[in-house]
Amino acid sequence: MLRTQASWRRLVFVILIIASLALLTVTFRESDSGPVHAIQQAGASLVTPLQAWGAKVAKPFQDGYKWLKTLWSAHQRAERLEKELQVLQGRAIALEEAAEENERLRALLALREEGVYPDGTDFEVANVVGKSPTRWQAWVLIDKGSQDGVRVGLPVVGATPLAGETLAGKGLVGKVIEVTAHTAKVQLIIDPESGVSARIQGPRAEGIVEGSVSGKLVMDYVDRDIPVEPKLVVVTSGYGGVYPAGIPIGIVAAVGEEDVNIYKEIEVEPFVDFRVLEQVMVLLLPETPAGQEASH
Amino acid sequence: MVIARLRAVGKALLLLVVAVVLQTVLISHVSVLGVTADLFLILTVAVAMARGPLYGAVFGFIAGLGADIAFLEPLGMRSLILVLVGYAVGAVGERLGVLSPWAVFLLAGGSSFVGQFFYALFQFVIGPRAGFFTVVGIQMFPGALLDGLVTLPVYWLLIRLRVLSTPHAESKGTSGGGGE
Repeated sequence: MLRTQASWRRLVFVILIIASLALLTVTFRESDSGPVHAIQQAGASLVTPLQAWGAKVAKPFQDGYKWLKTLWSAHQRAERLEKELQVLQGRAIALEEAAEENERLRALLALREEGVYPDGTDFEVANVVGKSPTRWQAWVLIDKGSQDGVRVGLPVVGATPLAGETLAGKGLVGKVIEVTAHTAKVQLIIDPESGVSARIQGPRAEGIVEGSVSGKLVMDYVDRDIPVEPKLVVVTSGYGGVYPAGIPIGIVAAVGEEDVNIYKEIEVEPFVDFRVLEQVMVLLLPETPAGQEASH
Repeated sequence: MVIARLRAVGKALLLLVVAVVLQTVLISHVSVLGVTADLFLILTVAVAMARGPLYGAVFGFIAGLGADIAFLEPLGMRSLILVLVGYAVGAVGERLGVLSPWAVFLLAGGSSFVGQFFYALFQFVIGPRAGFFTVVGIQMFPGALLDGLVTLPVYWLLIRLRVLSTPHAESKGTSGGGGE
């Protein structure tokens, strides 16, 4: 009897392994319109309302948790800000430069009015209803899908200004990589697979802003001969066909050089705080004649 | 017998719905040590410890499908991992008999580490750039620790709420808990 049970268990185990491998193989081999993808899309459509409803229920608890966290760190933060204030006061001589930078930031704020985005670009504000559970990927699920005009390849920017008239929360978030009727998956720019053609304002240095498993944003392929200073603003260059030029990404946090590397390695501090991403804005760019944006 | 099985299936489905909602809505927003707990894996481990390798593997398969659908991941990826985890944890738990809290913690943490290792291998195949030791340090080890710690109260709660029976009671009540 025990022997029969053990054999039965092993048989079921092997069947499940084969079924998983078969599903995995079919998922990768078939096209996006194949039956397995269709089943997954249908399943996701069922799960989405559940996620959206759950997000609403969980919101007060999340806000409470964030409030507690803020309270916990408020004292330390106050001390740190005090020190920072003293340092800043000692830098009065740099006021003129700061004023210039302020002008530049204000110009970036008026991205929409100044026609940075192509003619016909529309905007769709979406709530974040899910996040990637591991560091291997960095993505979020949003509650807007193909029925709202969202399609694969569209750029997504932040929609949660955090500090008044600054760019905080308003920078580039990522791009849509999968869409169902009422939901979409957005690959964040901090995803290890993400690469964004970018330009540093000022020296006009160009390179690729890449994500990493550690969550850091690094700008690579910037020529070592070009002088790059911290605090400069990094924006999209428009190359690659996914992101329009001029979307703010972040500021230069640190500049590294290695003897063996012909490029600088620049750490970029994003304008968007990806840990507290709650709302984003999908840029509904006008469709290209081919029907899709070029892959990046 | 049939009613008992239907009840078990109902409980398993309920657990899955709860897992999808909690994981996507709540747990993925709360990071500890820079990582978030994996409720699908935790529930698979809990079911496997309570019901043995067969139930562990079947639950792992369905939980994996649920996770793949909820996260829009390649279908079958997490199923494969959770089937392996469910079967292995069930087999080990069956040999150990009644599980102490330490055994629950170590089984859950260990299986989380192994599960993440397989997931990491898969990710290496499909592309992301990452050093192995970086991933061990910032994802796999903290993730295993967190999953181990979260499994303790979850397992205890599921036993207390009679969603799952203790391995001891199961081996007395049915013939499903026999060793191989």
